[in-house]
Amino acid sequence: MNVTPYIAFARIAFLKILAYRLRYYTGIVTYMVNVSVYYFIWKALYRGKESLGEFTFEEMITYVSVGFIIRTFYFNNIDREIANDILLGHIAAKMTRPVNYQWMNIAQAAGESFFRLFMFTVPTALAILVVFPLRAPASPYSALAFLAALLFSFMVFAALNFLVGTCAVYLHSILGLIRAKYFLVEILSGLLIPISFFPDALAEISRWLPFQLISFTPLMIYMGKFQGEQLVTSFLLGLGWTLVLVGLGHWFWRKAATKLTVQGG
Amino acid sequence: MRHLSILGYYFAQYIKVRLAYPGDFLISVFTSLAGTVASFGFLYILFHRVSSLQGWAFEELLFIYGFNLVCLGLFNVLSMNLYEFGERYIMEGRFDQIMLRPLHSLFQVIFEAFRIESFQEFATGLVVVVYVWHKLDLPLTPLDLVLFLLRPLHSLFQVIFEAFRIESFQEFATGLVVVVYVWHKLDLPLTPLDLVLFLLMTACGVTIYLSVFVMLSTLSFWFEDRVGVSPPVYNMIAFGRYPVTIYNVFIQFLLSWIIPFAFASFYPTTYFLQRHEFSSFFALVPLVAATFVLLALLLWSRGVRGYQSTGS
Repeated sequence: MNVTPYIAFARIAFLKILAYRLRYYTGIVTYMVNVSVYYFIWKALYRGKESLGEFTFEEMITYVSVGFIIRTFYFNNIDREIANDILLGHIAAKMTRPVNYQWMNIAQAAGESFFRLFMFTVPTALAILVVFPLRAPASPYSALAFLAALLFSFMVFAALNFLVGTCAVYLHSILGLIRAKYFLVEILSGLLIPISFFPDALAEISRWLPFQLISFTPLMIYMGKFQGEQLVTSFLLGLGWTLVLVGLGHWFWRKAATKLTVQGG
Repeated sequence: MRHLSILGYYFAQYIKVRLAYPGDFLISVFTSLAGTVASFGFLYILFHRVSSLQGWAFEELLFIYGFNLVCLGLFNVLSMNLYEFGERYIMEGRFDQIMLRPLHSLFQVIFEAFRIESFQEFATGLVVVVYVWHKLDLPLTPLDLVLFLLRPLHSLFQVIFEAFRIESFQEFATGLVVVVYVWHKLDLPLTPLDLVLFLLMTACGVTIYLSVFVMLSTLSFWFEDRVGVSPPVYNMIAFGRYPVTIYNVFIQFLLSWIIPFAFASFYPTTYFLQRHEFSSFFALVPLVAATFVLLALLLWSRGVRGYQSTGS
């Protein structure tokens, strides 16, 4: 596969979003609000308690804060963009391009994430660091593994969004589906509450799903709770799920493309 | 009355648009409902581990959340255009069109689009009624509409009712189910007075949300910005879903007197949950709602007076 056009897509996405950078200033406030809500809830819950489960209060605040900080990086709207492409008919022109549609979308999302890393993730992290007592990564080794795990956060999230977006070929409006996915990912990725806190049955189900790779896995690595063999398993799971989801997306798109109806464009 | 029937037309019009693809509509309702149910996941999982949040039990928090959804659902049905106000109306110049019509501009903006997807049992019933009503061409005739349009109406009215987000009825319905469940489970008293108060509090809650977001949209008259400051404020609604006492003084003050979301969800519930220590706040709910709606209307008419078209 020739990667040059995909790098160009990523670069253009980066430049396009630069024009909308204002929106990220309000975004920082939004994330501060989110972290604050959960900070106070956990503070109330930890009153008079040393630890809950395997987490101390400081660890829980670190878990929640870093969880929202990395969300500023891996998040993207591929699903909405594909739905728009189909709704507005732009898809017809895009399909004539001699590139893979799925990889084009992932490359654009990567450009966007690269932008977010500097303009959104770093300022949000600084703002949160000033207000809340966060812990550093457990060790330099954990920090490196954490950064590597973020790659899988991004890939799993992007591949899932591509699958949801492709449903727009069959459905005219996928807003409901996007909403359901949003809340499911929020819970099952462990963003709001660590998966180890889940009731046993739900925790067991979550272990067999890819969502944990988005938030729970990188956070546990950051905190040094996943080490050695568990770390290796996490990376293998990340790699496996990335391949499965991207493969699934590839297959689904090829199938859906034959059913595609474009109204105008 | 005139506004009510025009609202009926806006609504019926929007329903027709959404029911053009009935299959999609049903999937949409189902998936948004799944989303709403999943949004309770945090509370459910949390209380699997702990038995109370600073003296508040699972059911009580569920009640606050449910009440919040009832108001928020109704608000969400209406609020679609408020988020896009800066871009759609001011920057693209659609507000000129609104100004020319003999209806209050805010009424038009709010009721021009609804959110449909999440109709639930109760709400689906409503769709069918409106649809059949329209299909059978019952009381309201196009002639009536033309006659109504010729009369001067408030512009605010037009803006609000031009867009609905009907799927958010689903949130309303889910919230109601949760509230009824907890009411039953905790064996809370239910007198006719309570029922009236509940309806009043719901109206106040919706009014507070609408007023706050109308005020934020009004800023678009002076500052041309696509996104505006609505998203962070919208996220602050989540603060109101928990007892305000868990927050520090600064946030308690903010939620009560600056952006009064606590008056739209937490304080109203304290009466029904028999937490009488908050009764003075409960009594203030209608006053806060009235004050904020007045402020919003005042700000809106100031904005309209100073409006300069972009000419597009």
